[in-house]
Amino acid sequence: MSKYAVLNTEFPKVDALERALGTAKYAADYFMPNMLYSGVFRSTVPHAYVKKLNLDKARALPGVAAVLDYTAIPGKNRFGIIVKDEPCLVDDKIRRYGDALAVVAAETQELVDEALELIEVEYEELTPVKSFEEAMAPGAPIVHGQTNVHAKKHLEFGNVDEAWDKCDVIVENTYSTHILSHMFIEPDAGLAYLDEQGVMNVIASTQNPHYDRNEVAAMLGIPMNRVRVKQATTGGGFGGKLDIGVQLHVALLAWHTRRPVKMVRSRTESTMVSSKRHPITMKCRTGATRDGKLVAVDVVMTCDAGAYGSYGPAVIGRAPVHIVGPYECPNVRCDAVFAYTNNPMCGAFRGFGVPQAAVCHEGQMNALAKALNMDPIELRLRNAHKVGTVIPTGQTLTESVGFTDTLLKAREKALEVMPEAMARLKTE
Amino acid sequence: MKRRGTGVGCMFYGIGNTGLPNPAAAFVEVLPDTSVNVIVGAADIGQGSSTMAAAVAAETLGLAIENIHVTWADTQVAPEGGATSASRQTFITGNAVKNACTQAMGELRRTAAEKLEVPEEDLVFRNREIYSSKDETKRMTYPELMGAMSYRGRLAVGAGYYNPKTTYLNPADMSGVPYEVYSYATCILEVEVDTDTGEVTLLKCVSAHDVGTPINPKMVEGQIEGGTAMGTGFVISEKIDVDPKTLAIKNPTLSKYIIGTNMDMPEIYPIAVSSEGEAGPFGAKGLGEPALIPSIPATMAAIGNALGVTFTKTPIFPADIVKAWKDKQAAENQG
Repeated sequence: MSKYAVLNTEFPKVDALERALGTAKYAADYFMPNMLYSGVFRSTVPHAYVKKLNLDKARALPGVAAVLDYTAIPGKNRFGIIVKDEPCLVDDKIRRYGDALAVVAAETQELVDEALELIEVEYEELTPVKSFEEAMAPGAPIVHGQTNVHAKKHLEFGNVDEAWDKCDVIVENTYSTHILSHMFIEPDAGLAYLDEQGVMNVIASTQNPHYDRNEVAAMLGIPMNRVRVKQATTGGGFGGKLDIGVQLHVALLAWHTRRPVKMVRSRTESTMVSSKRHPITMKCRTGATRDGKLVAVDVVMTCDAGAYGSYGPAVIGRAPVHIVGPYECPNVRCDAVFAYTNNPMCGAFRGFGVPQAAVCHEGQMNALAKALNMDPIELRLRNAHKVGTVIPTGQTLTESVGFTDTLLKAREKALEVMPEAMARLKTE
Repeated sequence: MKRRGTGVGCMFYGIGNTGLPNPAAAFVEVLPDTSVNVIVGAADIGQGSSTMAAAVAAETLGLAIENIHVTWADTQVAPEGGATSASRQTFITGNAVKNACTQAMGELRRTAAEKLEVPEEDLVFRNREIYSSKDETKRMTYPELMGAMSYRGRLAVGAGYYNPKTTYLNPADMSGVPYEVYSYATCILEVEVDTDTGEVTLLKCVSAHDVGTPINPKMVEGQIEGGTAMGTGFVISEKIDVDPKTLAIKNPTLSKYIIGTNMDMPEIYPIAVSSEGEAGPFGAKGLGEPALIPSIPATMAAIGNALGVTFTKTPIFPADIVKAWKDKQAAENQG
């Protein structure tokens, strides 16, 4: 008898049918009687003070129900999953292209677009910070607060400085990864309305409804149990729907108009303002013995995290812990610095810095294999995590460490389905 | 000229938030007709957390997956689920569902033990039956059990939550327990590279993932295949371009930001590897992000292997490949 009655058997996903039939209801599919459409007026410069924001012409357009700037926010105007550094609507200065300055609700989407055209803004432009290096330069313009250092981490395990003498081979490389977009297939959308009990309801495409609830409550200055966030069927996220999207804007507009308000971002707007993958540079020195045992890893990691913190603290916390990969190494150091700039905001993206770390640790393992003239899989097997391994935070792994099996099973299958390719692995 | 290359990529991934509390909760009620309501906070964005919750509930309660209805991600109904991030919902919400079911089973066990006249600890709940592990002739069906529950005025309800066993990390050196459990993976990938055009064709990919216990093998396969699509695209086709003056994204559309299609995918051989552990629900661990990661370094290494050069930067676009190949030939001609 199999150990499990249900697990590891074949059964359909609980939402397979409605997704396959096209009857699943995404946020953009919701309509309510008396519903307004809405949109956001956004900055077209990366770093500036708002000298003047003229909403009068937009407000005067017949069919426009509300045009709001930050002064309409009844509660808090700072949000963010870890660091509350992003405004619902800009109140001090613009920190990136696409920052939200005002929101509009109107009877039709066409009227929304027309009203957005009627909003006038005057900027007092500031020098933008365009890269990690610019952010760290003395005298650089400051994006937030007192310093452009968004976050810093230092991991230290064993004694790296003394370890190099014990190494027979040392490889040194600098790796860098680029900015990517999630390109979840469904652009952000949501709808908000006050129900008959006065509870603010928000139906949205999201990865984190409870967080959204807390942020909407803080923005409106009402208790958390007076906000109901319901996730609509969601067309992917990959981390890009962890930051709050349209939820605050539709809730603010519904609060003031007392009518249901819907917002659907275009693909362009969605991609412009949702978070991106952190581009990380990793300067790495790795030492090993003649027989391929890792002795020391030393990494300096830098990153242009963009205009807001978002999930940056989670990425900078995770990447150093994973920087050696699934390998035992008694001496590890990692110094990481993430900087604020006026570039697109980086945030959560499937892997939280580990894909970037993997580019580094796997690059180094391949470089070591070459330097030692060793089979790359054999080298990995020799260093593989197992039960009892102590990782660079000092944690001892006690169970569920299946890494060696993944190496062996992948090699076995690859030898079966791509034997010539496997022969090529050794001929570098 | 077309050249083939092979690359290996491995990874490990800590499940849940790094060195931080990140609990999730679940509510469960077994109804008189043996159907079950499971309510979780976890947002299902297509990855299958709701299906996972149904499977864990069915396994724990000894019912069929068809008996379970899952309601999710409605904050006025469902308890805290935390973010659908960090590959955490199978591990954390899964454990929460198991804990909620275990609580609901308190009354179910008491009632079954009374009816069958056996000790509670001997009872097995499996495939819609309840029986004694010591004497399998002592058994009853689930409808019989729920009848006995109704007769006694007992309800099978449970609330449970789970917070991974981690510690805050020491700010001085990051020491501590950042995650309770880790997933592992190895990817071996073969490419063909056209050295004249720089075009990369993905040929075959074996990707083996330690998921602890597979909840649903087809969903494991789906995650690995989707992850491979995103991981290979990371290296050879996807890139955000930022305007140097306005710092605006220049290619925010699917026509200018190129993600792979089915036609671009290699033949993928997904492998689910099991490992022994008690931490996850029935030993299960997360796969959402692990599915992506190893194909990134594997693709980089495979392109490098094809050309006999080393790439340390992403992306690797056709122009990068043509240049790397020309540089290599020039160096060899000089040498």
